[in-house]
Order: sequence, then C-alpha cells, then structure tokens
Amino acid sequence: MALLDVKDLSVRFDTPEGDIHAVNGVSFSLEKGETLGIVGESGSGKSQLNFALLGLLAKNGHTTGQALFDGQDLLSISERKLNQIRANRIAMVFQDPMTSLNPYMRISDQMAEVLMLHKGLSKRAAIAESVAMLDAVKIPDAKTRVRLYPHEFSGGMRQRVMIAMSLLCHPEVLIADEPTTALDVTVQAQIMELLAELQREFGMATILITHDLGVVAGFCERAIVMYGGRIMEKAPVDPLFEAPTHPYTRGLLDAIPRVDEDQESLHAIPGNPPNMTGAPKGCPFAPRCALADDRCRVETPALMEFAEGRARACFRPIEEVAA
Amino acid sequence: MKFPRPPIGTPHMIVYILKRLAIAIPTLLLLIIFSFLLMHAAPGGPFTQERELPAQVLANLNAKYGLDQPLWKQIVSYIWGIVAHFDFGPSFVYKDRTVNEIIAQGFPVTLTYGFVSFLVAVVAGVTLGAVAAVKHNTIIDYFAVGVSIGAQVLPNFVMAPILVIVFTLILGWLPGGGWRFSDPSYWIMPVIALSTSYMASIARIMRSSMLEVLNSNHIRTARAKGLPAHRVILRHALKPALLPVISYLGPAFVSMITGSVIVDIYFSTGGIGKAFVDSALNRDYAVMMGVTILVGALTILFNLVVDIVYGWIDPKIRY
Repeated sequence: MALLDVKDLSVRFDTPEGDIHAVNGVSFSLEKGETLGIVGESGSGKSQLNFALLGLLAKNGHTTGQALFDGQDLLSISERKLNQIRANRIAMVFQDPMTSLNPYMRISDQMAEVLMLHKGLSKRAAIAESVAMLDAVKIPDAKTRVRLYPHEFSGGMRQRVMIAMSLLCHPEVLIADEPTTALDVTVQAQIMELLAELQREFGMATILITHDLGVVAGFCERAIVMYGGRIMEKAPVDPLFEAPTHPYTRGLLDAIPRVDEDQESLHAIPGNPPNMTGAPKGCPFAPRCALADDRCRVETPALMEFAEGRARACFRPIEEVAA
Repeated sequence: MKFPRPPIGTPHMIVYILKRLAIAIPTLLLLIIFSFLLMHAAPGGPFTQERELPAQVLANLNAKYGLDQPLWKQIVSYIWGIVAHFDFGPSFVYKDRTVNEIIAQGFPVTLTYGFVSFLVAVVAGVTLGAVAAVKHNTIIDYFAVGVSIGAQVLPNFVMAPILVIVFTLILGWLPGGGWRFSDPSYWIMPVIALSTSYMASIARIMRSSMLEVLNSNHIRTARAKGLPAHRVILRHALKPALLPVISYLGPAFVSMITGSVIVDIYFSTGGIGKAFVDSALNRDYAVMMGVTILVGALTILFNLVVDIVYGWIDPKIRY
C-alpha cells in the first residue's frame, strides 16, 4: 500500500470576487522512500495542494477529496490528530527561508519546541538534538549558532536551518515546497545536494514542489506536471523528459534555455496562466495550446493511463496529432 | 561570523541610554524656549482684568514677577532657576503657592488614576484586539469591533456624566466625585472615563497587527510544527503583534498619567489636568510652563522606554 494516497483532492477559496478553484480533482500516490516531483508554473496549485495535505490553507480555503496516510484521511481528521502528524510524521520545508522562520525567536527555541512537543524531550536534550541536526545539514559551529536569531544567518543557511528543523522527528514524508526558489543559484545546488543526501540517510519519502525541470530531472523518480490546478501529465522522470506527450509538458521543456544550441531568443509558452475564478470548463491549457481544437475548449480531458505508469489528461497528445 | 546580540543591560545599552538622555537636554531647552515665546506672544497677561489695574500697581506686579525684563532675560533666569534650584517659580495667580507645590499636589492624583487606566486599557485592549483577530469574521470579532468603535466614539465628556448618573445617583454605589488615595472606589469612574477610548485604540491596533501576523509565513511554519492553536498564538504571534501597540503606548501613557481635564472637572479629582487648563485660561505663565515641561520630559522619557522595549522584543534592533 502506498504511504500517502491522495484521491480526487480539490481546493477552493471563497473570495469576494467569487470562488477560486486552485486545485481540481488531483490524485496521486507516494511510495515509501520515493521522491516525487510536482512541477508547474506559479499559480498552478502545486503549493496549495500540499498546504491542503497538512491543513495549512488560508482560512477561506476548503478541501474535498481524500488523502490517506497510514489509514487516516488527513483532510477530515481532527486538528488534534493532525497536530500529531505535522512535523512528526509529515514535515514541510517552505519556499522562503527569510520569512518562514520566526524572526523573534532564537533558532534553539524554534527547533527545540518541535522535539519537546512530539518527543517529550527536556529542553536541554531537545537543544542537544537540534545541534546534532544542524551539524547534519552542515552548519558550521552549530553549537554556538543555535543561539542566534534567523536574521543572523544568510539565506542558504536559513534554508539549512529550515531543513534541519523539518527533519528533527525523522518524518516519513518530507514536503519541500520550492526549497531553493528564494536562493542564489550556487546555493540552490548545495541545498539540493544536501536534500538528496539527507533523503538517502533518513530514507524518507519526499514530495519536491518546483518549477525547475532540471531539479526534477536530477532528483526525482516520478513527476507530476500541474497546470490550472489539474494534473496534466504523470510519469516516471525519464520518459517524461525524453518523450513528453502532453503539449504543456513539451512547452515547459522547450522553455528551458540551452547553452549547446545557438539560440536567438527564449522559447516562452504564449499567453498567461489561467484565471482560476469560477467553475473550470474545458482543458485549462487549451487557450495557450497550439494543438487545441474545439473539443479541448469545451470538454475537460480526464487523466488516463496510456502506458505503464504514465498518464496524461489530453485529447490531442503530441504523438497522435503528429501521426 | 556574527555573534549573539549583547543582552539587555550590557555596556552598549547603557551607552545608548546615556546618549538618548543627553539628547533630551537640548530638546527640553528648545521646548522651554518655544513655549515661553508662544505664551508671551499671545495677547494679554496674568494681570489682565476686565477692570484695568492702575498703571502703578501693574508696573509693580510686573516688576515683582520679572515681567518688566526683556524676554531673553526672563527665559535665562527661568531656566537658571530650574537648573540651579529646581525652582519653577511662584504661581502668578495663586499668590501663596509655587508651581512645584501645585504639581506636587495634582500630579500624584493623575498619576494614580492615569496609571490604573493605562493598565486597564492595555489589558482589555490587547485581549479584545487579539481575540477579535483570532476569531476573524465571526460573531466574536464583530462584537469586539463593535465594542471598540462604541468606546472610541463615546466622548468622555458624555460618558462621565452618564457614569455619575448611573453609579452615583441611581445605584448609589460610588462616590460622585472627590479623591482619596486610600479608597479606590473614588478611582473607578475616573479610570473608566479615561481608559475606554485608549482601550478602543489599542484594540484596533492590536487586531489589525495580529491579523497581519497570523497571515505571515512564520505562523504557517509554527502550525506545520503541530503546535496547538493557543501555543501558536501565545508563543509565536503575540510578540510581533504587540510591536505597533507598544509604539502607541509611549505617548498614550504620558497623556494618561498627566490626566484629563474632563476627568478632573467631572469628578473633582484635583489632578493637574484641570490645573493645566486653568493656568492657560488665567495666563498663569509659571504653571503653564511647569506642566508643559513635565509633559515634555515624560514624553521624552517614555519614548526612550518604548525604544528599549522594542529592542527587547525585536532581536534585529541593536544599540
């Protein structure tokens, strides 16, 4: 049985301008120890999907569907039960390390409270454990620095602190929400290395949310491509990159600038991400898709398996249109 | 590598406080000079009466109080009196009393009901604002907002007589006026009349800053840690949400402990709020100056206190 089984999950926000359908009927599963990439542009719903799993949506957010973790539906269990899972069994690393740590508390207090809460450690023992974890994420002189405040660290160091904090309870699932987006390119590589290394060491399953296909190719076994709150394509990473079948995946791949080709301009996908207000109709990508026909604009394609382990939601996949 | 911020009470902090106090001296001097000039620029004087005094009497009075001297000489000797003898001069109107006596008599009263009002306003305002934010867009929130708007728009010159009517005339529970340090039943109505509008302001500031903090990323992190809601609020949200409240509290504290003329008049408390307004009406130059300097000095002092408290809460502030 899968470690985490998400079935038909939708997220809707009530706003004065109408309902926003941020995530629409997303299903996927996560196996023990695997790394699953979730790729998509800003606004594709990938972050909200994961916030929904841990009950971290804004107050006007509503979820439907199921997310089974160890026999419990994360979307319907009580706050008290969810609190026993948060950070303890499913931990999260957030996008912006500059603002995701509490600027008014010492790192020692922020880390220790996790262990005191979930593992019942004394403060002294919790801090000792925290220092060990800071060592594990390669923060030099952790013993002294654990007493510092977040603003006394650089961005990369703060993200290391964030990662160390998320690993304190040795969670079974780590959700990393664009862990490197806010960082310098050189630091990005270091953080990804570190994450990969820690994952091997701790053997946890990881959901890596990113808009960087390179990161997915390098670190994930399977990937989900999201657009307009829907899964467009779901496949193991190798075939996904070698032979994308969904026009959107293809567009994303083409948009990666290449240094080995003489390129006049960057390939962008024309148009803008969809407005998610109101009930969705048709394929969300249809307005920007070169291959779309009338059916795509009216009917919403379902996610269907078309090869072993590969699924897509498309009426006009690349190879069929070409043939 | 950076080192931990020096904790409160280190030499850095003491140097900072000394610097701020040193800057306070020229600030107060400027305050004195400007108020002195403004006061004398206004037409009339302490001895202006409807029936004009004989010229010789007026000249004698002016000479007695030094008003015949050039203005700069008056300022210099006034400041010298303060610096050398801590003497703020005699009242121009109450012949047998000095400014020091008037302040010494009235200030303890306003300090007492002002300080109690301050505590009430802070505790009630912070609680009301925080609860409203946590229960955002619920009945509780609307109720709290309603209470604070009501308290804000009800002026204390309306509230004071209502309080007297209800608690003194109808219920007979509280004395309708006067002041006794030994009997807090005399304090209750002045405290209610003075604290409500401050309480309302604090509640509004607290509510909006708490709402902002609750939507911030680090609160989401705290929730993702599995902390129960009350721990998230008390441990992670309260401190940052208090910062804007604290900067409001410095000046508010000063105006509360220096009293309110409305409270002093309606409840006959005998505080300096009334003394100050009377001095302005009577052109009692010395009392006016004395109270102005008191308020100015307190304002400087409590702005410093606010900055120190800020530094204690926000680790990014260093001295």
